[in-house]
Amino acid sequence: MAQAGEGQRGGPAGRIAIVGAGPAGCYLAQALLRAAPGLEVNLIDALPVPFGLLRYGVAPDHQGTKAVTRQFERLFDRQGARFFGNVTVGRDIALDTLRASHDAVVLAAGLAGDRRLGIPGDDLPGVIGAGRLTRAILEHPDADPLPDLGPAPLIIGNGNVAIDILRLLSKTPEEFAGSDLGSAPGRWLAEGGIGAITVIGRAPAGRARFDPAMIRELGRLSAVRISVGDRGGDADGPEAAARLAALAAIDGHGAGPRRIRFRFALRPVAVEGGARVEALRVVRPDGAEERIACSAIITAIGFADAGLLGRDGLIGAAADAESGLIAPGLFAAGWFRRGPRGTIPDARAEAQALAGRILAALAPDPGRAGAAALAGLADIVDWQGWRRIDARERAAAPPDRVRAKIPTRGEMLRIARERENAS
Amino acid sequence: MKITILYGTETGNAEMLAEDITASLSAEHEVECRNLSEMDPRAFDPARFYILVCSTYGEGELPASARPFAEAVAAARPDLSAIHFAIFGLGDSEYAETFNHGPKRLAELMAAHGARQVGERIAHDASGGDLAEDLALPWAEAVVAAARERLGEAA
Ligand SMILES: Cc1cc2nc3c(=O)[nH]c(=O)nc-3n(C[C@H](O)[C@H](O)[C@H](O)COP(=O)(O)OP(=O)(O)OC[C@H]3O[C@@H](n4cnc5c(N)ncnc54)[C@H](O)[C@@H]3O)c2cc1C
Ligand SMILES: Cc1cc2nc3c(=O)[nH]c(=O)nc-3n(C[C@H](O)[C@H](O)[C@H](O)COP(=O)(O)O)c2cc1C
Repeated sequence: MAQAGEGQRGGPAGRIAIVGAGPAGCYLAQALLRAAPGLEVNLIDALPVPFGLLRYGVAPDHQGTKAVTRQFERLFDRQGARFFGNVTVGRDIALDTLRASHDAVVLAAGLAGDRRLGIPGDDLPGVIGAGRLTRAILEHPDADPLPDLGPAPLIIGNGNVAIDILRLLSKTPEEFAGSDLGSAPGRWLAEGGIGAITVIGRAPAGRARFDPAMIRELGRLSAVRISVGDRGGDADGPEAAARLAALAAIDGHGAGPRRIRFRFALRPVAVEGGARVEALRVVRPDGAEERIACSAIITAIGFADAGLLGRDGLIGAAADAESGLIAPGLFAAGWFRRGPRGTIPDARAEAQALAGRILAALAPDPGRAGAAALAGLADIVDWQGWRRIDARERAAAPPDRVRAKIPTRGEMLRIARERENAS
Repeated sequence: MKITILYGTETGNAEMLAEDITASLSAEHEVECRNLSEMDPRAFDPARFYILVCSTYGEGELPASARPFAEAVAAARPDLSAIHFAIFGLGDSEYAETFNHGPKRLAELMAAHGARQVGERIAHDASGGDLAEDLALPWAEAVVAAARERLGEAA
């Protein structure tokens, strides 16, 4: 095999565009450049800032999980990857243009839409998707305003995202020390006046999808009173046993003002209300219906495509979706490829395998323009631009925060454009 | 001294740290850096000093790249009594009950087969304020100095 680091006549050993600078895109770029340091790797993101759900999904009080961004800083600082922020593929540049100018294009654009409940009333005001809510709490620049949850929200879903939301809604202001929760969402949480939160799962507790560690963490909350309802049946296997043990350990925890109640094996059948949500109607395992009053419903039941790339059509017609091949020279990675399942560790494992397949299929054409195809676009934020935003955010952090995120696109663009040493 | 750095990782932090330790020790020593997944437990060399860097996953378990090594050690039952190693751990205090249990298990596995630990096992906290390399680079200097005495002038 030719040494991948050296392209012919001094040019790069191939030009690869990755759409989406989340964990999937960044780990892929890292693996590609480790295997073939001479590649030109261009990461394009619709946001002016990199890292996708690491920045706008992973909870603000889980900074340890966000620490992999340090690897990605090296990817751009030392491995030579290039960042093109504030470029929406499918609007600012056509996918076909990218494909014509690169030897391979990888779609790692995630899945930003919330899966709907699919029951009557699921579009009533007060029904809020987990993605929409977390984007608002994490100050995503395109987020909807922080919603009114009222005194008794109900969370539907039994994955880690549901537990993240439960924890964020339950913490006291002091419990956010060391996080990067912003001041506006911090006020919103502190003044929300939530008295009770019910968490509902369709499956019995043993088959819930959350990690036991996420449940155990709830046992450290200071202002809650937790009760775990009927587990909804027996469970088999060590994983189920670990989950049930974690739930048993928090059942009865605390004597605080916020009541948290877990309920399992309930099938939602209708959202009821007039001008806004008033209750969820569910069916119990014994077949009886029950009406659970609530002031809002947060759905954390998965994610769906909401982007401009026509994801479902592309993946549906893919040559080999399992291995990430959509068509010759066009690949998919991360949640865009596999659907809304899988964690950051999974993204790295997948990237290492996919990088090998991309490089094996790569037939570099020195005539391709590569990054030059992006040159004419307005307001691109490059890596140095993000560094300026990052530095500003860290410098502006209050004493009990690690950063103060810039919440608007306009302000991000303004800071990115500033000259490095200008005051 | 001849040094082998072995990393066990799942999201790449331990790999990055192993590279940093390699770079920092390479000026004065002959250093190689490898993934634990590629280490044959029968190939340990008493003339080398081994620096292990390992994270924690699941419920306090070993990370993906360390698991095949642990299985191979259990199967091969190598005699490591002439082997000297030091170990640096990665974890996250968000996982309070199992904080840094992965490297702890790895150290116990090495010791169970006779290997001798040099220096203290440091536990980095991804949710803490320290950068891993700020703890690890001075620690690596110190364990290498201690290992020099143990391995003798031959090393
Ligand atoms: C609320 C939440 C919390 C989570 N917490 C954890 C956790 O604690 N630990 C964990 O391991 N996993 C967690 N996950 C899962 C983890 O985020 C995913 O496994 C991972 O982010 C998937 O990465 P991705 O790169 O595929 O997608 P994303 O991270 O969504 O990245 C996609 C990127 O593509 C960009 N993009 C989209 N469309 C376009 C376009 N047309 N043109 C250009 N760019 C585009 C987006 O702006 C985004 O930056 C969480 C997920 C969510 C939703
Ligand atoms: C799913 C998951 C489980 C984890 N479990 C633990 C744990 O039980 N104990 C711990 O100390 N750290 C735990 N961690 C934290 C990691 O060990 C820490 O983030 C480390 O820096 C990762 O290093 P790596 O990238 O080399 O794998 C966990 C991380 C994840 C994502």
